[in-house]
Amino acid sequence: MSAARLPPPRAPDLAALIRAESARLAAACTACGACVGACPMVPTLPAVAAAAPETVAAGMRAVLRGEAQAAPAGSVAWIGACTRSGLCTAACPERLDAAYMMRLAGMRLRGALGAGEEGGPPRLPAREDPGWSARVKAFARLTLTEEEQARWL
Amino acid sequence: MAVTPPPPADPAPERVVFWFGCNIARHGEIVRLATRMLEAVGIEPAPAGGPSYCCGSPKEANARIAGGMARRTMEAFNAMGRDTVVTWCPSCHMNMDDFMAPATEAAFATAHISEVLHARRDRLAPLLRHRVAARRALPHLHHGFNGRVPVNALVPDLLRLIPGLEVPDHPCRAPGHMCSALAGVPGALAAAQRALLAAAEETGADALVTIFHSCHRETVSLERGRPGLRVVNWIHLLAESMGLAYRDDYKAWRNAPDPREAVGPDRLAAAGETAFERLVEPELRRPPPV
Repeated sequence: MSAARLPPPRAPDLAALIRAESARLAAACTACGACVGACPMVPTLPAVAAAAPETVAAGMRAVLRGEAQAAPAGSVAWIGACTRSGLCTAACPERLDAAYMMRLAGMRLRGALGAGEEGGPPRLPAREDPGWSARVKAFARLTLTEEEQARWL
Repeated sequence: MAVTPPPPADPAPERVVFWFGCNIARHGEIVRLATRMLEAVGIEPAPAGGPSYCCGSPKEANARIAGGMARRTMEAFNAMGRDTVVTWCPSCHMNMDDFMAPATEAAFATAHISEVLHARRDRLAPLLRHRVAARRALPHLHHGFNGRVPVNALVPDLLRLIPGLEVPDHPCRAPGHMCSALAGVPGALAAAQRALLAAAEETGADALVTIFHSCHRETVSLERGRPGLRVVNWIHLLAESMGLAYRDDYKAWRNAPDPREAVGPDRLAAAGETAFERLVEPELRRPPPV
């Protein structure tokens, strides 16, 4: 089977991973704006489309540097509208995984590391569906047999 | 006396976890059919999904909680003692790569189900004996995830194994990695669906083939008022060609004039009246994006 082995862990927990990966990628990013230019969501964001791509990208880099409160509103809106197309990664001249950077930035802006560490409250609302788990279970009761639920869930 | 050598024995089935995710619970038949398909190509899958096997992404706004959920899932998979975790959901697959395995040791490899079936297409192809109720099937593709797993090539390749089915190439690619990502951006899902309908018209497709569960959930309503158009998932079409029976209940409920009546009293009782009313019915009654 064409299965991929997973590399060994590089952090003791998720919070430490977010911190370490944010710092590593922020240090390598030149904020050239190629990721912004490639993003298919920018046309849905007039303020971002009107801004210089370098400025928007620099705001994303600032979030990864732990300076979320200083990031311009346009950068925050751009990160919030990320739908994980991955076109930014293909466009990065530094060959950075820009989509991963956006994901890290989104988690940080939604408060993943806490207000104390980010210097203020979350700048993006959490995308949490409070009924998610109960909804999944309700649909499972509609579409799976009792035996399947017992064995698979 | 000439001795005829015995035929080569089938190798022992490869034992895997089939990690189907959580929101595909709306489409139990896809989990069931995909499981049977893996078995048919010589794999022994142990299906696992739902909130007990969460990747953590529903709680990504809190690293402590998300990390704890992810670690619990990793430990459960490690304890199952299988060499490979076969994924279905692109979010789960990417979360495994990006956040789960980098923080918790994984005693297994991973592969997406499209990679597994494609790698064993020599075993799958002879099982695809029946024509399907579609002449030209347009795959519904996204930009995202394809950079991790080339689903935009693998799935059309597999569909082309179905006798008599045309699978046109079209450059239409929706933003995002699947439609649920678009639902949160005002207008984005409707725009993607209008582009998909235009592509179907340009290619003369009579079927739209979704790849992921959230796309299927969001796209089935395109059948309303379009009697010549069928919306199916790629697993549905492969199953149909294999002769496996199934019912796409979610599509039937979503497109019914009265979803509650379509679900019926027995299943409604199984889901629970309160849960159905609060968690299921609003989704089934939501107006279509286009």
